[in-house]
Amino acid sequence: MSITVEKIDTCRWRIPRSGKMRAEGLVFASEALMKVLQREEQQALEQVRNVATLPGLVGPSIAMPDIHWGYGFPIGGVAAFDLDEGVVSPGGVGYDINCGVRLLRCALAAAEVRPRLKELADALFRNVPSGVGSHRRDLKLSVQAERQVLKKGARWAVEQGFGAEEDLRHIEEGGAIPGAEPEFVSDRALERGRTQLGTLGSGNHFLEVQQVEEIHDEEAARALGLFQGQLTVTIHTGSRGLGHQVCDDYLRVMLQASRKYGIELPDRQLCCAPLRSPEATQYMGAMACAANFAFANRQLITSWVRESFEQVLGLGPSDLRLSVIYDVCHNIAKWETHTFQGKERRLCVHRKGATRAFPPGHPETPEAYRHVGQPVLIPGDMGRYSYVLVGTSGAFEETFGSTCHGAGRILSRHAAKRQARGRNIEAELAAQGILIRAAGRATVAEEISEAYKDVMEVVGVVQQAGIGKIVARLRPMAVIKG
Amino acid sequence: MGRYRILEHTADMGIEATGETLEELLIQAARGLMAIISGAEALPREERSVEITAGESGELLVNWLNEILFLFDSGGFFPAEFIIEEATENRIKALVGGELFDPERHPVDREIKAATYHQLKIERGEEGWKARVYLDL
Repeated sequence: MSITVEKIDTCRWRIPRSGKMRAEGLVFASEALMKVLQREEQQALEQVRNVATLPGLVGPSIAMPDIHWGYGFPIGGVAAFDLDEGVVSPGGVGYDINCGVRLLRCALAAAEVRPRLKELADALFRNVPSGVGSHRRDLKLSVQAERQVLKKGARWAVEQGFGAEEDLRHIEEGGAIPGAEPEFVSDRALERGRTQLGTLGSGNHFLEVQQVEEIHDEEAARALGLFQGQLTVTIHTGSRGLGHQVCDDYLRVMLQASRKYGIELPDRQLCCAPLRSPEATQYMGAMACAANFAFANRQLITSWVRESFEQVLGLGPSDLRLSVIYDVCHNIAKWETHTFQGKERRLCVHRKGATRAFPPGHPETPEAYRHVGQPVLIPGDMGRYSYVLVGTSGAFEETFGSTCHGAGRILSRHAAKRQARGRNIEAELAAQGILIRAAGRATVAEEISEAYKDVMEVVGVVQQAGIGKIVARLRPMAVIKG
Repeated sequence: MGRYRILEHTADMGIEATGETLEELLIQAARGLMAIISGAEALPREERSVEITAGESGELLVNWLNEILFLFDSGGFFPAEFIIEEATENRIKALVGGELFDPERHPVDREIKAATYHQLKIERGEEGWKARVYLDL
């Protein structure tokens, strides 16, 4: 089935209302990206349409340039729902609740660390658990402590000595989403979480040592403490098994709820409940717990990154100054206030594979960045680059303060492996100055650069559309994968 | 005899399973799930008993696969053999045999987050049961 799209301008496309759609679809893409979408991602476009059938949607069903086929909701989708008429859907957040990205800056230049890079990669691979079943033996979590993690998020980790108070100021929501209710989290979810706090996981999750390759916006870079040639570290992970279980648990609840409230679904994975229903309250309480677990997870990993640098370089915290630039969620549903058609509205904004991108001056943008906008972290693939952006007023006006989240796959794992066959990917990357350490056997071949869209194209569209502003490009030096 | 086939999409994978009976279909789908995670062989040295209920057969299949993922993800257990003691469209009673998970002996290729309801299909035809389920990786 072919989906009708109408070109609005060089980076915007409209999916007109048809069938049961209550609103239109808005897709951000260049001509080239739209061609690929129409050729290979018809299903993703259909999903944009399906989201537009849900009750209480405010504005269009939005898709970012990195959109691809997801479950129910497309990955790269943004949907805002009205408090009274709208719904919340676990499928609109995804299994990896608060999958997100954290960026650390270092006082050192990449060149100063390069001679010790191999030892550093080994230390990070050793100190930060990755892959199935791996966890820190020195982190034991009681049931009570786990409940505290779910309530307090990153703050819990700081209270246990993992990091400092100032880290919390540079995390979305201060590292803890309000409204977390551990009693709405199942025992099974708690059980999965207990051994997985402080672990990276696998697949596209990673830990990367990088260098600032190019500064695009001097003023914003200065505000973020970034300089050319600087060493940075990116952590990309989420809420691990706890989040997956919360999502699965509540999909079951929402399948029932959709029947109960008579919500017609084009796809079961879109199952949802009215925002004012008890089912929605329970999911939002459990989802906040999983989100906070993810914030704590990235906080713990940050601490072990610092530990690894100190071990290998023999420097103290004040020499390294590995500080948090920012930490953003890209799988989340949040209560936010937005002005829509001239009226202030309380909305539940779903971002699934999309990042919050609040503009300069917004009270939730940390003080240090308030004059330039909220930092937005866009990981690319392991062989090319990642981007740092800041939020814009354009995003606030057009996309409920949201922008893209990454590159998105273009090759299936099988196709990637076929392309990698007979090649020594580790050696190829090493020749480009990139070291890789991976726990999973298939990871390196399945995660080759060619398997992903060029993230430069994605952020290019976002910048052109005015829903994000490029600040800097980061190039990988050492990649730790699950 | 039933069988399974691994489906591939750009970002994720799925399983297509068949079986003359519902029991066979469930066993094949479970084998497909474990084949995506790891190519390792394991023996049924230990058993876990599993009981699942659902409103209908599609949800039953998803719950069954997620139960196996839960055993693997939470309990350090590597499922290898599936014995269905009882299966209706609303209920499964089964024994899952396997070994304690040892990353050395059970090298993991990739992790699966969950079996999903997305484009879920399960049907009973003249030749038996057929199902398709997509997984989030």
